[in-house]
Amino acid sequence: MRHATSRRIEGLPAPVQGVAQTLVDWIPLGILVVLWEIASGTVVAEAVLPPPTTVSSRIANLVVTGEVFSHLFISLFRIGVGLGLSILIGVLLGIGMARSDPVENFFDIFLSMTYPIPKTALVPLAILWLGVGTEAAILIVFLACLLPIVLNAYNAAVDVDQNLVWSAQMMGTSDREMLYKVIFPATIPEIMTGIRQAVPIAFIALVSAELIASNQGIGYLILTSGQIGNYPTMFANIVIISAVAFVAVRGFEETRDRVLVWT
Amino acid sequence: MDGRVTISELEKVYGEGAERTKAIEDLSFEVEGGEFVSVVGPSGCGKSTLLYLIAGFLDVTSGTIAVDGEPIDGPGTDRGVVFQDYALFPWRTVFENVTYGLEEDGVPKEERQSIAQKYIDLVDLDGFEDKYPKELSGGMKQRVGIARTLAYEPKILLMDEPFGALDQPLREALQDQLRDIWDDLGKTIVFITHDVEEAVYLSERVLIMTRHPGTKKTVTEVGLDRSGTREDIVTSDEFADYKNTVWKSLHEETQTEVKL
Repeated sequence: MRHATSRRIEGLPAPVQGVAQTLVDWIPLGILVVLWEIASGTVVAEAVLPPPTTVSSRIANLVVTGEVFSHLFISLFRIGVGLGLSILIGVLLGIGMARSDPVENFFDIFLSMTYPIPKTALVPLAILWLGVGTEAAILIVFLACLLPIVLNAYNAAVDVDQNLVWSAQMMGTSDREMLYKVIFPATIPEIMTGIRQAVPIAFIALVSAELIASNQGIGYLILTSGQIGNYPTMFANIVIISAVAFVAVRGFEETRDRVLVWT
Repeated sequence: MDGRVTISELEKVYGEGAERTKAIEDLSFEVEGGEFVSVVGPSGCGKSTLLYLIAGFLDVTSGTIAVDGEPIDGPGTDRGVVFQDYALFPWRTVFENVTYGLEEDGVPKEERQSIAQKYIDLVDLDGFEDKYPKELSGGMKQRVGIARTLAYEPKILLMDEPFGALDQPLREALQDQLRDIWDDLGKTIVFITHDVEEAVYLSERVLIMTRHPGTKKTVTEVGLDRSGTREDIVTSDEFADYKNTVWKSLHEETQTEVKL
């Protein structure tokens, strides 16, 4: 996805340009909201598609009463732990498989077999093992995020410039030191790409897991409000989790650009 | 002065079965301690392979390579390589690249900093210590590469077409800088190049290799008087003579290549 600053509106002074660009970027969303407002109650029944005005007042209500926060925090906690574990284990596994044949031979079959399985199909199994709740959701987020991180770390670690490895060797770096002094830093840009792919996947996996079975979290709120026919609340929670996911992706991109000053 | 490299009956074969190719065959050669030797040869003659064998990055198929009489066993800090593509660590600043070898050697921090600064100054990069490699031009990157290798004080510098990717004025500036460094530090230098003029200008002896499989064809002693400026040297008759000698020998090899 491109950055907003990559395009230019001609003939405007620099400070105005930034503001103008932001406005232009949000125009499509504005159009959608307007069409939604018009369609609600005309093309589609208002009960099924509550208008943005109703949904936004419901969002304000959920936020002001603080009702949404306990669920949001639970959801974010599950994402944080699941994604964190997948980064830790994914990086170790990816680099390990790339640089050691026994490690690759051992884990390859598991990754090849689990790769095509939709991770949300494993939710019933996760519940069977771990019960309804946080642990099962963390497991699903972890499994869903693991592959993009392993694959990116693996490809990068396989492709590390041989001359960098030789450079370090000639300066006295041992094979074991090589992993964290050369291989790991050399793969950081691709690991960041893997995490960037994993962040939205984490949200998808989490909400799916919570929709299937849970007693807390944003997915649970979406499910229960839908079941009792409270569609404005259902829509409000969908908008909230979408906005949070959007902020998480943008926030990660900012952090990544700061970390990778050397690329 | 140490840093003598002895190559005896060296053979290097890549691959197996039908893929088997002999890169180097029956090569014996000795580089004296503190000597500056260039290696030229047609492309594919195995000159870079020779350098990586001396560095210990590749294993010999048969024969031996010894440094000061001791057969080498893999890479070692007695030898330092300067790569054509610089091979700097992109996540480390200029300063951190230059201190890498010293860190690995366990040199205390303060000493590390003063040694690194000395070599950064030597290659005229003071003021660029905190830059990352991507912020530098090719010529500057290669000066970092040279400083990084000099900093941990190997006896032998192995240079793989280090100025091959640079334009002519920059090449000349770096050649002169390398000559000065060699005069000051007295390292053994093995310098791979395909540029005859560069080989004659820089080195005391030029090893010319045959094309595939590579082996020693001739060795030309370059007895140039190098007391003058670059202009004095390159416009002298003796420079032209040495250049012609090397060029003719190399040209015979290139001709064989064309006929095939």
